[in-house]
Amino acid sequence: MTLEGVLAFLQTHLPALVEGLRVTLQLTVGGAALALLISLAAGLGRRSPSRWLRWPANAYVEIFRGTSALVQLFWFYFALPFFGISLPALVTGVVVLGLNSGAYGAEVVRSAIANVPRGQWEAARALNLGDGQAMRRVILPQALPMMLPPAGNLLIELLKNTALVSLITLSELTFTTQVQRAATLDTVPLFTLTLLIYFAVSQVLLVGMRRLERNVTRHRGGRA
Amino acid sequence: MPEECKEKARLPAILRRAAWVAILALLAAWLWPRPGELRGGATTGGSTLERIRAAGFVRVGFANEAPYAYVDTETGRLTGESPELARLVFRQLGVEDIRGVLTEFGSLIPALKAGRFDVIAAGMYITPARCEEILFSDPTYAIGEAFVVPAGNPLGLHGYRDLRDTEGATLGVVTGAIQLQYARAVGIPDGRIKIFPDAPSAVDGVAAGRVSAYAGTALTVNDLLGKTSAPLQRALPFTDLVIDGEVIKGYGAFGFRASDRKFRDAFNQVLRATVGTPKHAELVEPFGFTEDMLPGNVTAAELCKGGSE
Repeated sequence: MTLEGVLAFLQTHLPALVEGLRVTLQLTVGGAALALLISLAAGLGRRSPSRWLRWPANAYVEIFRGTSALVQLFWFYFALPFFGISLPALVTGVVVLGLNSGAYGAEVVRSAIANVPRGQWEAARALNLGDGQAMRRVILPQALPMMLPPAGNLLIELLKNTALVSLITLSELTFTTQVQRAATLDTVPLFTLTLLIYFAVSQVLLVGMRRLERNVTRHRGGRA
Repeated sequence: MPEECKEKARLPAILRRAAWVAILALLAAWLWPRPGELRGGATTGGSTLERIRAAGFVRVGFANEAPYAYVDTETGRLTGESPELARLVFRQLGVEDIRGVLTEFGSLIPALKAGRFDVIAAGMYITPARCEEILFSDPTYAIGEAFVVPAGNPLGLHGYRDLRDTEGATLGVVTGAIQLQYARAVGIPDGRIKIFPDAPSAVDGVAAGRVSAYAGTALTVNDLLGKTSAPLQRALPFTDLVIDGEVIKGYGAFGFRASDRKFRDAFNQVLRATVGTPKHAELVEPFGFTEDMLPGNVTAAELCKGGSE
């Protein structure tokens, strides 16, 4: 392709792809926020002494980890309306992606907490801290740095999973690529460009996660 | 020296922080849902026609298949044979505007049933199997089949039967599309049929050597061959498909929910008075629909029974 060819190609396709990227980022940000809340709730719930918290948390994690995200999307979008609940496409996407990532996130939270040495609990008790206080002040601050690397993984995974949402009428990046392709059949350059866009976004997310990791561990190092 | 440079190149901490906040705020403003983006939940129940008249628009499902129903990427307008005809009919029914909901072809019927939109305007063929799921208007066109093959048609494929009788030849079809049923009816084994998510993928599949031919409607094939630069061609001459002694043609129509019989009937009445008029011809001519593709007196009821006689 000549330079003019490349420019013409970008002029034809880039505005639409940027709109698609917008939807992809909406899903990623919304899904990640939901996943964060749910991971903490379900991760702590799975360790709770009360079975009324433990069982629902276990059921949630196993159901969402154990079924296909694509089928979950179809089910929430096409089947749920028959039960009288009809969410808009964007909300369906955020909810399903958030619930799906949250199930993996809950395992990250649970295992990080389990990896804090037992002695820390005992020490907290010796200082007369209650269970909640011990969790908030002693255990979670130590578990957090352990959660971050796998959480970064999940975030990238979430970004890429947003492509599934094209199947429920949302025009995110992948779907926009398909639409543009249908108009011009520029298959190879279009998919190449889309790959590069995904890669660029995931790199930005990774840099952000690494900064966060650095901040958290530096903070901890300063206190130790 | 390097230390000094570093110090000078860096903005004061407060400015850097302000820059980050500004970037994040801009990003958030860009991503924030615009009016209407969070709407689009399903709407069912009540009289559909009254509801869309009150709303002033009707949501129609389409699968982005030119020339039937597609988005013109230059203008962003939903266009094609089916949406343009829908606009004309709905205006006479007192509904000013149509809004497209884009979905995969195979998801059109589930999405219609789930109330994601109220009409399928994708030039969908009327078939008995589909009639068990949804209602159809009377057809708006009738056309035959075509194959996309590599330039020179190396396997000499001139119809479904040729492909069946050619050792190792494989056929690409689109998910949910009629051609899968044609291929099976002719006796092409499932192992030699590959299903693609959409027509451009199937055409790319032929170009990349994944399948020997792509089977689509004559108009889809013409449209895609006009766009691609890959060494492909339409298989000519093409032997029309005959099943049970009958030449198979596809009759395209609008789809409605089974509970929307009144709505369908109201639409159909206007549609029948429109199809075949000079105004209709003028409307669909730019999409390659000519007079010989008019459906004649064939009705949805006949096609649902499984014959056009």
